[in-house]
Amino acid sequence: MMCTIIPPYLLRRLASVTDPTYAGAAAAARASLSVDRPFRSIRTSEQPPPTTAAGRPGLLAREVEPVRRTIFDAGNLEVLPGTVVRAEGDEPSADEAVNEAWDGLGHTHALYAEQYHRASIDGANLPLDATVHYGRDYDNAFWDGERMVFGDGDNIVFRRMTASVSIIGHELTHGVTQYTANLAYEGQPGALNESVSDVFGALVEQRALGQDAAQASWLIGAGLFTEAVQGDAIRSMRAPGTAYDDDVLGKDPQPAHMSGYVETVDDYGGVHLNSGIPNHAFYLAATAIGGNAWQGAGQVWYDTLTGGALRPGTDFASFAVATADAASVRFGERSPEHIAVAEAWASVGVIARATTTS
Amino acid sequence: MKITVTRTGGFAGLTATWTVLVDDQPDPESWRELVQSLPWQDRPRLAPQPDRYVYRIQCSHRRATLPEQALEGPWRELVDRVRERATG
Repeated sequence: MMCTIIPPYLLRRLASVTDPTYAGAAAAARASLSVDRPFRSIRTSEQPPPTTAAGRPGLLAREVEPVRRTIFDAGNLEVLPGTVVRAEGDEPSADEAVNEAWDGLGHTHALYAEQYHRASIDGANLPLDATVHYGRDYDNAFWDGERMVFGDGDNIVFRRMTASVSIIGHELTHGVTQYTANLAYEGQPGALNESVSDVFGALVEQRALGQDAAQASWLIGAGLFTEAVQGDAIRSMRAPGTAYDDDVLGKDPQPAHMSGYVETVDDYGGVHLNSGIPNHAFYLAATAIGGNAWQGAGQVWYDTLTGGALRPGTDFASFAVATADAASVRFGERSPEHIAVAEAWASVGVIARATTTS
Repeated sequence: MKITVTRTGGFAGLTATWTVLVDDQPDPESWRELVQSLPWQDRPRLAPQPDRYVYRIQCSHRRATLPEQALEGPWRELVDRVRERATG
């Protein structure tokens, strides 16, 4: 029995708040509330009940309900949400984009639920809504704070955005970040926000395909470019800066090391560029640990994201230390996982090697 | 007058730029009127949304940076017209 100064009714009220401003408080309230709940492992669990960053079983556990998806069609207008075209219990649609979004939401919910025992995006069984066919020739996909939105692509550079499971996982993970660490979308915390989305986007895809760290492509958005573009994907976690090299688009500008950190005012301080550095650190940690990346390095990153050590303004170095601490708590001081994580951050120039492996 | 629209961000982080030389257009007066109607001083401050586009708009010496969510009214009209007419 946990003693708390905040009465349970207030915790429940706070836990149900969905305003992003209060995301941190709401997550903390949900975590507090869940202490008193009996932990229920879900049937498809692949591993023992989770321990939290604090190492106590069940602290983050909230009964995970089945996914509740609704897909909307914007009819090529830039208007949300659009009209409902598929809900739970419905037959698959004749529209490929609808079914791809449906499956992607399912794969993403499954990673969080079955691997990390997280009850949907907000930890409180948020229904997952997505809108397809947004805008005309719209070359983007995004999370607007409430739902996923997918464009069809212009079919010159991009195909339809639903074709990539890693992009669907990426967008929904922006929601998870919003409800947990709430990393600011600017500068280094913004690049970390982007990187966390790439990490779990890649893990959703790897888990759906049954690929371990050695087999995985480590590409984000593979197959989204049309045949006309010289490139495999939008980003590469294995080799940032090599995903494409095209006559029109130019070369993938992502750095893989702090020595290439890009200072710019565009895109909130280059959040989609500098994410290459923490992305590569995750790849190095995951491949050094081996096996399924969602179990080793993925668990460490999830513990870091939800463990309370991050602040909206957390920079690369603080994030690196937080992941090393999380690895140590989860797998043990000087465990292979702990060493691999610290070594990965040193390899990308974020923290000094001497102070991390002494 | 030269109008340049630069779009950054989006989940792919790709930059696209469109430029129009107003004096080369068949209807330069309507372009000038549109630019005059832009509320340069009165732009909404919106919190960033992940993976949304950000537009940088430059007309001669005047500049504005707007998130996609704020691209409404004459701003939207200008961006759409520039994209339609841009030569590259």
